[in-house]
Amino acid sequence: MSAEPPANGGYMVAAYVVAGAILLGYFLSLARRAKQVLRKQ
Amino acid sequence: MTILAGTAPIVTLDRARVVVRRGVIISGVALLGIAVVVVLALGFTPVEARQGLAQKIFYLHVPSAWCTLLAFSLVGIAGGLYLWLEDPRLDRFAAASAEVGVAFATVMLTTGPIWAKPIWGTWWTWDARLTLTLFLFFLFVGYLALRAAVHDRHERARFSAVVGIMGLLLVPFVHLSVYLFRTLHPQPIVLKPSEPSLPWEMLRTLLISTAMFTLLYIGYVTIRYGIALAADAREESDVG
Amino acid sequence: MPEWIRLALVIAAKDVRAELRSKTALLSATVFASLVLVIFNFARDPTALSATDLAPSALWVTFAFAAMVAMNRSFTVEREHGALDGLLLAPVPSSALFAGKLLANLAFVAAVEAVALPLFVLFFNVDLSRALPGIIGTAALATIGFVAVGTIFGAMAVRTRFAELMLPVLLLPFMVPPLIGAVQVTSRLLAARPLSEMMGWLRLLAVYDVVFVTLAALAFAFVVEE
Repeated sequence: MSAEPPANGGYMVAAYVVAGAILLGYFLSLARRAKQVLRKQ
Repeated sequence: MTILAGTAPIVTLDRARVVVRRGVIISGVALLGIAVVVVLALGFTPVEARQGLAQKIFYLHVPSAWCTLLAFSLVGIAGGLYLWLEDPRLDRFAAASAEVGVAFATVMLTTGPIWAKPIWGTWWTWDARLTLTLFLFFLFVGYLALRAAVHDRHERARFSAVVGIMGLLLVPFVHLSVYLFRTLHPQPIVLKPSEPSLPWEMLRTLLISTAMFTLLYIGYVTIRYGIALAADAREESDVG
Repeated sequence: MPEWIRLALVIAAKDVRAELRSKTALLSATVFASLVLVIFNFARDPTALSATDLAPSALWVTFAFAAMVAMNRSFTVEREHGALDGLLLAPVPSSALFAGKLLANLAFVAAVEAVALPLFVLFFNVDLSRALPGIIGTAALATIGFVAVGTIFGAMAVRTRFAELMLPVLLLPFMVPPLIGAVQVTSRLLAARPLSEMMGWLRLLAVYDVVFVTLAALAFAFVVEE
């Protein structure tokens, strides 16, 4: 059994990017909707 | 917080603004915290020998699983309490928790397969956690679809509460079904994805990540609650 | 006979009579069931997947979707004729209303299952001689659970704009545990396995029924209150 860990860093990057995109995207969506509903007067 | 007849709704809109601002601050802190966790996970946590770098997805996947389950449980509990107490705050909270739950469930359902592919060799596996999350996702979606389709506020709150509680009670049955299924149909396991005893650096990173994710849940729910508050204030000022 | 049981039977009888007159739900569900069975049969590769391997899943998918069609129709028919509001104005306790609706739905679904089962035997060439009582018992056990949930969700869905879509979206997650249990038991029954191998699943089905029939009955009051 080789002692080298498998070269799967690409998956890690993909997962982190996707998770970040979802969390940030949702935050921005919330912020935009909040601004819209609080806007008048 | 009750709205007395004749009170100008501008008070409620201001309160909504305060709530939203608080939520934004909490979320901002949490997001920064998660950024720190990412640095911690990538730079200051050992690489798992057998699974390689892909194992580090674990530090995002597990906390989002916890947040999904938390969000869902609170939707059910808030629903139950609403049917008993009829407090509109409970309904507003349930709606917020459901929407935020969808966000975390989406993170889980995307990071899960991205993790599974290099570790288990397959994009999807009907293991207990992924299957349950898929269910929660569908239950959330059904819940939100129902809310969108009912116009009367009180009817919407009541219907959502019923679906929420029933959904919460469904969870143990799904869990049991998957468990029974798997014990009778043993799945070939290539690598054990999570070690029984975690080296403390990994545990530390996981715990900090879970704390930050929970904080983010609180922040998101606060903003979303504020939005609901503002929408209700709007509706009342239009009607009254 | 306690008053609410009598009321429930009256409500159920009214629904069943209305359906017998128009026959729409039963007809569409039956056609649907036959179609599903036919498709299942043609969709498989007979050299790779034997009929007996596919049979339990085919049967239960058929039962599940046909049941959903039947339950959907039963509420929409009522809404179209405005009968639901009349029913709610009458002083009927919600428990009687729920029991009546549940009985009517069970009657519809049982009728569809009774039609689908012989078709299933025909198309899949299964030998039910020993398994038949078990299959009927399992069908009853699994059906009660998801029809109870379907009854209360149907009452909610009918108040929404996209009623036909809302019921499946809400109901499908709730159908999965009884379906898994039913398929597992059915496949063991067809393979003439000993009862001990099915006990876990049968217990799951039974507990599910107790929990969700009770829950649906209790929650129904909140759905129909004004």
